[in-house]
Amino acid sequence: MKSPARRRVGIWLGCVLACAIIVARSQYGADLAAFLPSSPSPTQRFLVDELREGAVSRLILIGIEGRPPDELGALSRALAARLEKNEHFSYVANGAQEGWRADGEFLLRNRYVLSPAVTAERFSAAGIRRALEQQLDLLSSPASMLTGNLLPRDPTGEMLQVIERFQGQGGPGKREGIWFSADGTRALLVVQTRAAGFDIDAQEQALAQIRAAFEAAAPEQHAAGARLLVTGPGVFAVESRAGIKRDAMRFSLLGTLLVSAILLFVYRSLRVLALTLVPVASGALAGIAAVSLAFGSVHGVTLGFGATLIGEAVDYAIYLFTNTAPDSTPKTTLQRIWPTLRLGMATSVFGFGAMLFSGFSGLSQLGLFSIAGLVVAVSVTRWVLPELVPQGYHVRTAAALGPALMRWLSHAHRLRIPLLVLVIAAVAWLAGRGSTVWDDDLSSLNPAPLRMQRVDQQMRADLGAPDVGVLVVVRGDSEQAVLESAERASATLAALQAEGILAGFDSPTFYLPSAGAQRARQQAIPDAATLTRNLAAAADGLPFRAGTFAAFVEEAQAAKRRAPVTSQDLARTGLGLKLQALLAQRRDGWFAMLPLRGVSDMRLLQAGLSKHDRSQVALLDMKRELDVLYRGYRLRALGFAVLGAVAIVVLLMLTLRSAKRSWDVVAPLAAAVLVTAGILLATGTRLNIFHLVALLLVVGVGSNYTLFFERGNPGAADPQRTATSVLFCNLSTVAGFGVLGFAATPLLSAIGTTVATGAFLSLVFAAILKARSPQQG
Amino acid sequence: MHGRNGVLAALLLALSVISVSPARSAEPAAQWGIERLMLQLSQVEHSQVRFVERKYLKVLKAPLQLSGTLSYTRPGRLEKRTLKPKPETVTVMDDKLTLENPGRNERRVLKLRDYPTLWGFVESIRATLGGDIKVLERFYRVELEGGPAKWQLYLAPREPSMNEVISLIRIDGSQARIDTIEVQETRGDRSVMKILEDVP
Repeated sequence: MKSPARRRVGIWLGCVLACAIIVARSQYGADLAAFLPSSPSPTQRFLVDELREGAVSRLILIGIEGRPPDELGALSRALAARLEKNEHFSYVANGAQEGWRADGEFLLRNRYVLSPAVTAERFSAAGIRRALEQQLDLLSSPASMLTGNLLPRDPTGEMLQVIERFQGQGGPGKREGIWFSADGTRALLVVQTRAAGFDIDAQEQALAQIRAAFEAAAPEQHAAGARLLVTGPGVFAVESRAGIKRDAMRFSLLGTLLVSAILLFVYRSLRVLALTLVPVASGALAGIAAVSLAFGSVHGVTLGFGATLIGEAVDYAIYLFTNTAPDSTPKTTLQRIWPTLRLGMATSVFGFGAMLFSGFSGLSQLGLFSIAGLVVAVSVTRWVLPELVPQGYHVRTAAALGPALMRWLSHAHRLRIPLLVLVIAAVAWLAGRGSTVWDDDLSSLNPAPLRMQRVDQQMRADLGAPDVGVLVVVRGDSEQAVLESAERASATLAALQAEGILAGFDSPTFYLPSAGAQRARQQAIPDAATLTRNLAAAADGLPFRAGTFAAFVEEAQAAKRRAPVTSQDLARTGLGLKLQALLAQRRDGWFAMLPLRGVSDMRLLQAGLSKHDRSQVALLDMKRELDVLYRGYRLRALGFAVLGAVAIVVLLMLTLRSAKRSWDVVAPLAAAVLVTAGILLATGTRLNIFHLVALLLVVGVGSNYTLFFERGNPGAADPQRTATSVLFCNLSTVAGFGVLGFAATPLLSAIGTTVATGAFLSLVFAAILKARSPQQG
Repeated sequence: MHGRNGVLAALLLALSVISVSPARSAEPAAQWGIERLMLQLSQVEHSQVRFVERKYLKVLKAPLQLSGTLSYTRPGRLEKRTLKPKPETVTVMDDKLTLENPGRNERRVLKLRDYPTLWGFVESIRATLGGDIKVLERFYRVELEGGPAKWQLYLAPREPSMNEVISLIRIDGSQARIDTIEVQETRGDRSVMKILEDVP
């Protein structure tokens, strides 16, 4: 080896080592927000934050099944008792009365500041008289059994007022005194982690704690055989990350093995096989290292994409080795094919380059990863690989297969008409489907397996947990400011509810009224002497025994003097969880969420709310808003893909200096992309962002085939070797991605299926279109 | 040996005659019990009666008096329609309890399963009328006194949570008919519901 060559290998080894160190120290995430735009509107930003760190993101739903209800009940209690003592969780509930009892006592103690009915009029003689008459009426009703015997303490019925607000908020059915699914086969618990939903490491620890607590509690309760189900945003994140890691690992390995088997058959040399993988491994390492350096952490999706780099990077070495004739060396081959190789690489880089500037950190990561990976892979092929190839090596299989391949190729042009028909059919099919081609449901981005998503839906339905719906979002500069605004919005909503425009709503101010509202209620209570006098006047002529309401006067006076209820007070009760879900501090200030139920007319609702300042009180249809967000994202990604395609065409025009030659390169690719999209739709798939990225990859991989096939290609001096090299590349790509198609992670299988189909079609179409005049074959 | 056997046989025979004869004469009384009562009750498909209820409450100087109709249809429907002093209707159909009060413009639907105490109370009447001892025993320790012509059924709640509200329910009846339902509340209140004549 000459010394420059030695130096090149040395530099390469040094870079690999540096990349390996960076990769080993990288942070890995699966934060969905990475795939949301980085500069959305305030409401969208609020949504994204809510998804990342809001109270809802920290909820974990737990189901226990597989045993008779009484055993499940005991197990649920034992599990709740263990988790309550665990510092990872801020809240644990299984519907047991004990929890509600504490909440009930809190509500009872603070009924005079929580009840919306408290006004000065209510404590006048006339007001109390009316209340007492109602109470008398209630006493004769069987309903009195429900409300308990609070009459002496609460003749004006404030506790009832407070409780009635919580009615109709939904909730799971009960069995054995705790929450159960409607069919009674599953005991249900809800826990909230202290850590934010996007902190996957913390979520993973919390999950491990739940599993450990369950493992410990099950034998204790003699309920061996009971199954534990957990779901929730944090669980999704943890499982997706693990799933992507596992799938990417397993299928990369499987793909590598398969590709290796094919290449071993072609090369008949383990050493050359190993060498083929050198550019791939170097590229993947460099890609991850580049993303890690540029973004601080690597998204799981990007990592999953690493598996796909095999598809294109492995081709470079195959072209090099297969094109090396017995009488030449890799170096001379490289001189010949380098321009084509370089152009192929540049084409892909242009395709992915558009994603780099997309403004979505997730897409940018994919772009950077691909570009860094490809540049490094092609560089290693160009400058390092030739130094490592054994002297005098060449691929014999190529020579053996060549003649047969050329015979097939000479007939390929007969398929041009069917191809044209196919492309027209695909275009018609795509155009006919219109926008239904796209899957604009955000859940299609969910990297969790469908099975998990179904369990989640089921348990949410069982628990009556709020899924995304319509809500009013109120913004304020401080907690008190937002509570006061929310109180005004609540008043408007109550009026709209009375008109029948909505069936009901929830508000943080039901649990925590603003200090101002609490003070006003305290001031509405008269002093002891006045209250006693009013009470006596009111009870005159009614059959109540004298002295019955002594406790009422006492408790109302205590309420008058007590400090206002704060969010800290609520945090110690189960209502704190509710409050956290409805009231939160975010980057842009404080937010209150008022979820609405049974909205009958969105337009009238909007009109009714219009009297409030729109920057403070906004109506939000979560599902629609999220879908809009995603559609916008997909549209932008599509825009960038188109931009990338245009850049590729421009690049080809500039390099090949011929519209005709450019057409020869682009036409098969365009046909392949269209037909692949058509096939995906015909098999019932709706396209999402991952399919789009995969189609971009089809262009990247396919451009190499069409470039090598293209007539003016200087690399095609030996048509037989060119044809076989392209065939081997294609076989390995289809094998590598085809395997990925079986992955359980939706995004990996989407990419796998799309690229395998697209790459295969690219080759077939290139062969058909190339053979436009028989003498060329 | 032979003679002694003969004496023993005669003695046994005499004993058996003595022990059998009173039993035979009082046969219905000896076999009458909770099972027989329940069987009798379970044969009534439908009933509709007038009632008068008095509530003795600690907070009131005088008892409250209510009246109306009570109707039952096997197996799951029970309706208490109060007409005086204010109209109010409670209907139970299987697990669903509906409370309607036109005066308060109120209509509430509850699932009994969510309110164990209320459920238990409903079953004290519904399961008794239905002759369903299994359900009764699920909520109460059941004791029966008296005979078919005049019996008293004592129901003591099993669940501590229910016991906090109701200490004892006493149902008086004759044959397959209920005469009085008396509910003793733990906090000292008491209600007595007298069942009057059938209404068509």
